[in-house]
Amino acid sequence: MTGYLSEIYQKSLPNGMNLLAMEYERVPWVSLTCMVKRGAETDPPDKAGVADWTAEFLTLGTARHSQRELAEKVESLGANLRVRAEYDATYISLDGLAEDFSALMEILAEVVQNPGFPDAEFPMLLERRRAELAHLLDDPQELASRHFRRLFFGAAPYGHAVRGEPESLEALGLQDLTDHYKREFAPNVTTLVVAGMVPKARVQEEAHRFWDGWQGGGPVSPAYSSAPAELAPPGLYLVDRPELTQSEIRMGHLGLPRHHPDYFPLRLANYILGEGGFSSRLMTRIRSDLGFTYGIRSRFFFRRAPGPFIVSTFTPAENTAQVVQEIGAVMQNVRTHGVTAQELSEAQSYYVGHFPLGLETSRSLATQVLNIDLYDLGLDYLSRYCENIQGVTLEAAQQAARTHLQPEALVTLVVGPAARCRAALEELGALTVIEGS
Amino acid sequence: MTLPPKLDPSTWNPAITIISYRLDNGLKIMVLPDHAVPVVSLQIHYQVGSKNELPGITGISHLFEHLMFRGTEELGPEEFARRLQSKGGEINAFTTKDHTSYFENLPTDHLELALQLEADRLQNLKLDEENFQTEREVVISERKLRSVDSPFGLVEEQLFAAAYTQHPYTWPVIGWNQDLRRLTLADCQAYYRAYYHPGNATVVIAGDVEPEAARDLVSKYFGHIPSPGPPTFPQVTEPPQRGERRVVFKKVSQVEAFLAGFHVVGLDHPDIYPLTLLEVVLSGGKASRLYQEFVRPGRVADMEAYLAPPPWPAQDPDLFLFRAVAAPGSDLAQLEADLWSSLEHLKERGVEEAELGRAQKILKAQTVQGLAKNFFRGLLAGLFQLKTGDAQRINDILGFYEAVTRDDLTRVAQEYLTEDNRTVVTLKPVSPEESEALGTLS
Repeated sequence: MTGYLSEIYQKSLPNGMNLLAMEYERVPWVSLTCMVKRGAETDPPDKAGVADWTAEFLTLGTARHSQRELAEKVESLGANLRVRAEYDATYISLDGLAEDFSALMEILAEVVQNPGFPDAEFPMLLERRRAELAHLLDDPQELASRHFRRLFFGAAPYGHAVRGEPESLEALGLQDLTDHYKREFAPNVTTLVVAGMVPKARVQEEAHRFWDGWQGGGPVSPAYSSAPAELAPPGLYLVDRPELTQSEIRMGHLGLPRHHPDYFPLRLANYILGEGGFSSRLMTRIRSDLGFTYGIRSRFFFRRAPGPFIVSTFTPAENTAQVVQEIGAVMQNVRTHGVTAQELSEAQSYYVGHFPLGLETSRSLATQVLNIDLYDLGLDYLSRYCENIQGVTLEAAQQAARTHLQPEALVTLVVGPAARCRAALEELGALTVIEGS
Repeated sequence: MTLPPKLDPSTWNPAITIISYRLDNGLKIMVLPDHAVPVVSLQIHYQVGSKNELPGITGISHLFEHLMFRGTEELGPEEFARRLQSKGGEINAFTTKDHTSYFENLPTDHLELALQLEADRLQNLKLDEENFQTEREVVISERKLRSVDSPFGLVEEQLFAAAYTQHPYTWPVIGWNQDLRRLTLADCQAYYRAYYHPGNATVVIAGDVEPEAARDLVSKYFGHIPSPGPPTFPQVTEPPQRGERRVVFKKVSQVEAFLAGFHVVGLDHPDIYPLTLLEVVLSGGKASRLYQEFVRPGRVADMEAYLAPPPWPAQDPDLFLFRAVAAPGSDLAQLEADLWSSLEHLKERGVEEAELGRAQKILKAQTVQGLAKNFFRGLLAGLFQLKTGDAQRINDILGFYEAVTRDDLTRVAQEYLTEDNRTVVTLKPVSPEESEALGTLS
């Protein structure tokens, strides 16, 4: 089944950096990523966005090139330079044609190792982020996800948006970004991943040439890996947006960290609950039977520390309370009665059958390798993956559902027109209206 | 250094083999063999989209696409997707102005099951009142998501409604709200009979298959299905626009914005290539003109030129779009004036050699990257076939881009991006109270 998988090879560079790479023969493309294993988790509570803004700032000029020169250099290769922070790590990625591999490696090294932090770019970054935020807050889905995160986690590290909050526009300065860079961008927490039509020897040679000399910063912040001390109390919350015709609904509780031993059984149980599209119970009930929504999904966000479990959907406002009730009932049912042997077997064959589709592009291979390194999954993770999925027993899936689905702990947030959904929601229980949004 | 042949980019051959067949009932089949990964993309493209609808029943193509998942005599609702998904498949469909496309990307071993189920729903779809009513509610929720509550969904609808006066691209693929509520089961039954048969379909199989074996499998499940032959549609041509059209649309919003469209050409016209390159010069990447001029200094939350790259442009003349979302406090009218002035500058002075070179390399890179996926290979072949009658054109795309000159870019900018050919919709923010006073959004 996995004979077409090429080997992941690993090498430690003299400065403490890790190199992981995979040869890829399908098209002449190469995906490079420098992953710094610290991310938005390290943002100070009143300075959301530091990690992500720092990542963008790296692309706004290096010691040798201005923003424009750098962009011209990248784009004259037809390449794509993308940077972003997530909670657990920061990614600087460059994808391009394999014929340009050396040039791509040189650019990536320059961006990560020698940023210019030009003063003149900061006010422009600030204005772009201000404009982006105003624009984002017009999107009901984004609004609901941001509200939920803040409500649920409060000031804990996963409570803010990675790209920053409205307060960040006043609170962040260039110094915060340079400080973050000097502290967190250190070789001992950095991994370079290369997947592409480039032979192993050449990748190693260029990695040594461009990265061995990088000393970087430090000492880095400790990685965030514990659950927050305090979370929002379970219950119903409403943000009134009178202009909307549908309600956005988010229902969630605390989930698990990526390293938890129940990872595989829980993924399978959650596929059956709400991640498996039309194979899921939530989709079957809320969409196929009732016609109340176009889409519904449940998801565990597995991170270094326990991330949230969230059910997300939307429905014409008049259905809101009924949808909330139905979601709770479906979850309760899975928890109490478990899943069937047939459902489990279909979920397993989905993940096993789908596995090769995730290996078609060098970018998807690189993403797999990045996760393997970030969460210490082992270099044989991909070759053991199907076995791990198939090894989950019905009993283990039932146990995972019973232990980790907690309908009684749900924090339910509705963003919608109160005039059309509030009264019915109040019949379900005490409702807290969140003001000032 | 000597490279192993498989890892030497210079020996990579981008030619994609397309083997075509046609069954007696008119079904067209295209096979694109590739054995790198044991997966296959099966696609069935029906040559019917929203442009083939009529006023009063707009949205029926898309609603019908949903109904294709509601089961047959043998299968319950959504069981089609469930059964194939349980084999590891990615199952979905999409409706455009010109066609309706269904696909299953899945391990090769399950291709036969996918073909069997596709043939089943082509013949035995269960169209009953209950399925119809439920799915209509789902589509109404989808319309609210994509159009009504989304920041610019209704603005975009207004643009196409104003830019096209006679051509059916004037209505949205998802349909007008009142039409969705008016549609009946009988409309859907008639639609199924008229457009869903082998003579109006193209099957594409891209991936780990042998062409003749794939054809035999298709023939086994589709060969006996009768077809009345391809339907005929009137060819409607949008008359040339004779002057700028402007529309104001008010809704609750944090930002002011405008969306503009210029009539250009369809996929089959050779100008689509210089127009695509012009779009990249204007807003492809962070060295592009609009990024440097408007986005980088923070004058806008977003400013982009947009024309879908081949094979995605519409079959009939499409719109070349500009979308500008003003930063809070920016003067929208000034922003618009500056955009048009920037375009005038380009028309007068042309583009630099380096700009064109970057755009060509970006499009080459995007194409090469896309070819890693059987799904994309299949779509390229299928959509070129459907919209131009020539699937082989996919092997010439890179050549078409390379042949474009700086003069071509100036020429298409001068020819199409004119004030008289322009429609502009301005989004004017209002309070929730003002919005309510203007009537219900739907």
